[in-house]
Amino acid sequence: MLKIKRLMQKHVPGMMTCEAVDEFLYDYHEGNLSYFESVKFKLHLSMCKECQAYVLGYKNTIRTSQENFITPEPIEKIPEELIQAILDIRTDK
Amino acid sequence: MINQPSTTIVDQNQEKKFLNDLINNNNSAYETLVRNYSPKMYAVARHFFSDNDDIQECTQKTFIQVFKNIKKFKQDSSLTTWLHRITVNEALMMIRQKKRQYSESLESFSQHYNEFGERTAFCDNTGSNIEAVFELNERKNSLNEIIYQLPEKYCNVILLRDIQEISTKETASILGITETSVKTQLHRGRQILKAILEQQERVNAEINWKVK
Repeated sequence: MLKIKRLMQKHVPGMMTCEAVDEFLYDYHEGNLSYFESVKFKLHLSMCKECQAYVLGYKNTIRTSQENFITPEPIEKIPEELIQAILDIRTDK
Repeated sequence: MINQPSTTIVDQNQEKKFLNDLINNNNSAYETLVRNYSPKMYAVARHFFSDNDDIQECTQKTFIQVFKNIKKFKQDSSLTTWLHRITVNEALMMIRQKKRQYSESLESFSQHYNEFGERTAFCDNTGSNIEAVFELNERKNSLNEIIYQLPEKYCNVILLRDIQEISTKETASILGITETSVKTQLHRGRQILKAILEQQERVNAEINWKVK
């Protein structure tokens, strides 16, 4: 597979390298690649296990950060003490 | 995701009058401002912190900025949008103050390519940086902490774009950088975060294996 990948990179015009995959990855994830770029990107992925793993890891990282970032439960009402403390800041000025 | 707060004062003329009252130091207008807008600002701040005390502190600090700067408010956006931005900036400022930054050697979390532009083994022998990540994780094993400890430029864009899901354009405007910089810094930040999380995964797997 490595040989095929190198041969294609050498002889197929516009064939992406792994390095180029990295450059296009952000726009691929955002859905901003043109049709032609997207085809080249996917063609490289279909031949390159390392990039497949890398792209999967990249997507997993974004998903993990979105799912695991901890935020406290929303509150129904702002505590009166907080409101008073804020109003006091102003009068203290 | 931040729900953009609905505008409390819908009518533009009404908002102008309200702002005038604030600029003229009308006490009752200030009380209305705090009571009506603090829930929205609290809701925005909530998405940056895991601790209620931090959210309250952020809400308070935001109001200090609002009180100081209300006269400078140019009214080129709605009051709600302006308050939203100040809250986000204050949250980022608090995170900046709390964080213990890694050294620039985090740059060593780079991808490496050979002469053919092919991906070679990932360079993960980052020595003390990785140890620092895990010392930190032992103290508080949360993703929040890992993100907070990233270099500031990466931390900010990850928080705004990936966690808060704020648009690239708005993120660029809040941070005062170009949309291209947002894109570049976000991509780099994600790569570093990916490397850290995968490293953590490997260490955890090793610990579990040893325990068994």
